Order: sequence, then structure tokens, then C-alpha cells
Amino acid sequence: MAELKRTVERLSEISRKEFADPYTALRDWPERLDPDQWFTSPEFISLCGTEEYERLAQTEKKRLSFLEAVNFYSLNIHGEKSLIEGLARRLYRKDDEDLAPYLHHFLDEENKHMIYFAAFCERYAGKIYPDKKLAFPRDYADGEEDFLFFAKVLVFEEIVDVYNVRMSQDAKLDAVARQINAMHHRDEARHLVFGRQVVKELFQRHASKWPREVLDGVRSYLCDYIVATWREYYNADVYRDMAFDDPRGLQLKAFSHPVQKRQRQTVSAGCLRFLVDSGILPEEPTL
Amino acid sequence: MKTETEVRRALREWVIRTNGKIAADALTDRTPIIEQRIVTSLQITDLLLFLEELTGRAIDVEKLKPGIFRDIDAIYENFFGKADGV
Repeated sequence: MAELKRTVERLSEISRKEFADPYTALRDWPERLDPDQWFTSPEFISLCGTEEYERLAQTEKKRLSFLEAVNFYSLNIHGEKSLIEGLARRLYRKDDEDLAPYLHHFLDEENKHMIYFAAFCERYAGKIYPDKKLAFPRDYADGEEDFLFFAKVLVFEEIVDVYNVRMSQDAKLDAVARQINAMHHRDEARHLVFGRQVVKELFQRHASKWPREVLDGVRSYLCDYIVATWREYYNADVYRDMAFDDPRGLQLKAFSHPVQKRQRQTVSAGCLRFLVDSGILPEEPTL
Repeated sequence: MKTETEVRRALREWVIRTNGKIAADALTDRTPIIEQRIVTSLQITDLLLFLEELTGRAIDVEKLKPGIFRDIDAIYENFFGKADGV
């Protein structure tokens, strides 16, 4: 806990120094985007590797890269909405007062991310792709709900950050897309440091007290969550907007394509290594 | 357009395939699939997509009522019966 407290102080100080106004960037965004640009790096397009993708003309690939960016930003908006709800519930909670200074920054930064993700989606696509996730209330063992909340945040953010880092440096991408990825990564780098430490700390604190079936359930849920997170990157609504035949069939086909499987495993590698090295997962799941 | 029998069979097959452990004869249209964790919240996204495919229309998650996925009877009634899902 002492180490976590020191991390909270260090990260809070950096967040205060880097306090940013998200509206500054939005003011410089153009009225319209150039459709002859890439908005998602081709290797991150969910159909990359499939024959359907290879058959597309260059202009259609670029259109798909735009819709995939809208999906990526929409996923971030929905993920951050749930994150903000969960963080707000944990603010100044008994026994977690030490986390509060950084939770304020975390909340502030996530809110700002949603501003520019939503601005892009609404200004240039006229919509945010809807969320398809539902949560059912259930009973938890001591510490299980907290652990799963922060572990899910970690998985979601670790995957997103690999995309952000790569796309912020991809010279092929439109300047606005590069900027969004760069701005997001700037804050997420701190969130990831916090996330890894808090997840490790919560696991060490609670897992030894959980009965075997709870521990197995937590591990199995986490693996299912990683797969479910990835499934959202293959959005049938995007394929529908591209007027592809059989969007649902294409979604299943793309998800099981070997190129995509390799890509998911590569992008998730850092996160999975952390989960295994920390003893949270006994082995890396196949994605 | 699928008949009621075909839709119910398709839903049962989806549950069995998704769960991967439950035997076909252990699942009826009244089996509480959420309460017994035969289907988890993480699998509902996939079920929604499957339902969109079966109904041929988009589902607005924000308008779904509680208990809508309780069992296959409830799913059928809400998405294919009179109540029409939302």
C-alpha cells in the first residue's frame, strides 16, 4: 500500500503539470475531413487479412478506415462512461482515501477524452456507434468486485494504448486522427502505471482469501472479458455502413481469421504478460 | 421468416454452443439462463447480435427492460412476440 501511495503522489503531480484543455485542440479541427486519408492504420482495420478487405478499392479501404476509427472512439466513449461511474463510486471510500487524489485526475482526464472522441464522431460521422454491453447484478466475494473493476479497466486501456501509440506515430494517418491518438496516450500512460499497481495490490490483498471456486471464476471471467473486449473491435454496424453483404457473417469470419488472431495476440502481449507474471492468470489465454 | 419453433430451436442452440458445457436435454425454454450463469453478461453482446440477425433489426440496448434475458421464453416473448423487445 505504501508503494501505491507513492505512485498516487507521483502521478498526481504529473497530472497537475500536464493539466490540459481539450477544447483547445477541437478549435483547430477542420470543418470537414479529407476522405482520401487514412484514419486507422491499415494493420488495425478489423478486416485486414480477409479476402473481402483485399478486394476493396483504395478509396473503400480508406472509407472503412474512417468508420473503424469512429468505432474505436465509440468503444472508448462507452468504456470511459463505465470507468467514470466506477471511479466516482470509489472516490473517498473508507479504506481507499489514499487513492482519492489520483482518482480526481483519473476522472477529469477520462471526461476530457470523451469530449474529443465524441466531437470527432459527431462532427465527422454524425453518430456514435451504440454500446452493446449489459451488466447483471450479482453477489461478489470480498474484494472480488473491486479487483474485477480495475482488472477490466486495465485490459481495456492496455489494448487501446497499443493502438494509440502506433497510430499517433503513423505518418499515413490524417492529422486529427494522429492527434487524438497522441492526446489519449499522453494521459493513458499514467493510468496504466496506476492500473497495474492497483490490480496487483488488490489481487495480493484478496486472492489468498478467496475459495478455489471464486479464484477460478475470477480467472475465467477475466479471460472471457478479454475476448469480449476484442469482439467489439469487429462491429457489424461498421460493415453495414460499408454496405457489405452479411455483416454478421463477416464479423465471425474476420474474428476467426488467422491474421486477426495473430494481431490480437500481439497487441495484447504486454497486458497478458503482466497478468501471468503477477499470478493473476495461470497462463496466457488464446485470443 | 422463421417460425416460432425454429426461432426457439435457434436460441437453444445458441445457448448450448455459447455455454459449451450444458447438455441439450438440461436446457428448457424455462431454464433461468442468467440466474444459473449459463449465459454471462459478457456473452450478452453476442446474443444481441444474434438476435439482430434473427429479427433483422437493430436493438437499442438502452431501452431493454430488466429480466428480458431471463430464459428463452422471455427472450422469445420480448423480441419475437407481442411485446417486441423494447
